[in-house]
Amino acid sequence: MSEPDIRKELLDAPVEPLLPIEKKLIGWSLGIGLVLLVILVAVNHFFPVTALG
Amino acid sequence: MKRGVLAEGGYVVALLVGLAIANFFPRLAEWLEEAIRPELYIKIAIVILGAFLAVTAAGKLTLATSILLRGVAAIVEAYLIYWAVVYYIARKWFGFNREWAAPLASGISICGVSAAIATGGAIRARPLVPVMVSSLVVIFAVVEVLILPFVAQTFLWQEPMVAGAWMGLAIKTDGAAVAGGGIAESLIMAKAATEGIHYQPGWILGVTAIVKVFIDIFIGIWAFVLGYIWTNHINPTRDADKARVSEIWQRFPKFIIGFVATFVVGLYLALGTSPAITAKLPAQIAEANTFRVIFFILTFFSIGIISNFRKLWQEGIGKLAAVYLLSLFGFVIWVGLIISWLFFSGVKPPLVT
Repeated sequence: MSEPDIRKELLDAPVEPLLPIEKKLIGWSLGIGLVLLVILVAVNHFFPVTALG
Repeated sequence: MKRGVLAEGGYVVALLVGLAIANFFPRLAEWLEEAIRPELYIKIAIVILGAFLAVTAAGKLTLATSILLRGVAAIVEAYLIYWAVVYYIARKWFGFNREWAAPLASGISICGVSAAIATGGAIRARPLVPVMVSSLVVIFAVVEVLILPFVAQTFLWQEPMVAGAWMGLAIKTDGAAVAGGGIAESLIMAKAATEGIHYQPGWILGVTAIVKVFIDIFIGIWAFVLGYIWTNHINPTRDADKARVSEIWQRFPKFIIGFVATFVVGLYLALGTSPAITAKLPAQIAEANTFRVIFFILTFFSIGIISNFRKLWQEGIGKLAAVYLLSLFGFVIWVGLIISWLFFSGVKPPLVT
């Protein structure tokens, strides 16, 4: 593929609407990520980093 | 301390020399092409770093273990939060199709080049797509590594471990991130020294490296998840082309095995051998560290050489860069900073005794 084709491809690419499976992937990733972060922050709060060697 | 700052300064000089060759002497860059292997160089450096970190950690095992456990937060952030947001922005706001959006999201959110290539392979994108994304990631990593360590020195010098974790979360590509952690460490230690605080070297860089290694471990699994979704639901393919569990191992960054091996051997030598051997260890590790610095410098020089701004612009990278710019400065840097702060604020490296 020649170089100008990439530019053209990126600018003129037809819009692909988000499929339900993509929405699920985004939603579940964010949801699980936020829940895990809250859990980890709680763990960090109750078991803080200690400098005792 | 001065020696440390000079070594990290050498990284920046190597990067600038590489950039100058790439942009002003393209024929020389082409001539050097075969030797320009930044990913190989940084992986060798990280394997050597494993032993150095083990010896550093041996004296403060509880602190080191606590830091390791907090590497899990980095995985959650990179794979589950960054990826989803960047993918959404690329698809919804910039209108990229799936073939471009997925490698782009992995490149921006996980760890740059290797993640973009693994994702491209997993979703069966054309080889050109991850190559373009990787080039973009390298360009931005160059910009970040020239700015963020100095920002960290100015605003985070009193929170050195936050700065180290932030380098690992904000700078993409292993090479730039770990070297950025090294620069941040030297700058922060120098500034702290002017206030009469003398931190033990290796801890800030260690946090950066651990964050990066933890993120790298899951590239194979994430690529398999994406591959499964793509080959079963988005672009259903013949059975022979569907994502296979064996791909997790194929895409696993094998250098991590080397890092863990040198770490374990280093820890054994520091804690499980006779005092005579333990006493000789710091000098031996210092010798190995010289090679690590050499490979870091080669990494920086190589990153510079492959960063031909004009060529990339001509290739039409502008729209990809817009997504990167928005994602990076819109939230990657800030979310990385918040999470680093949540997990590392108040944690200080041990002082030199």
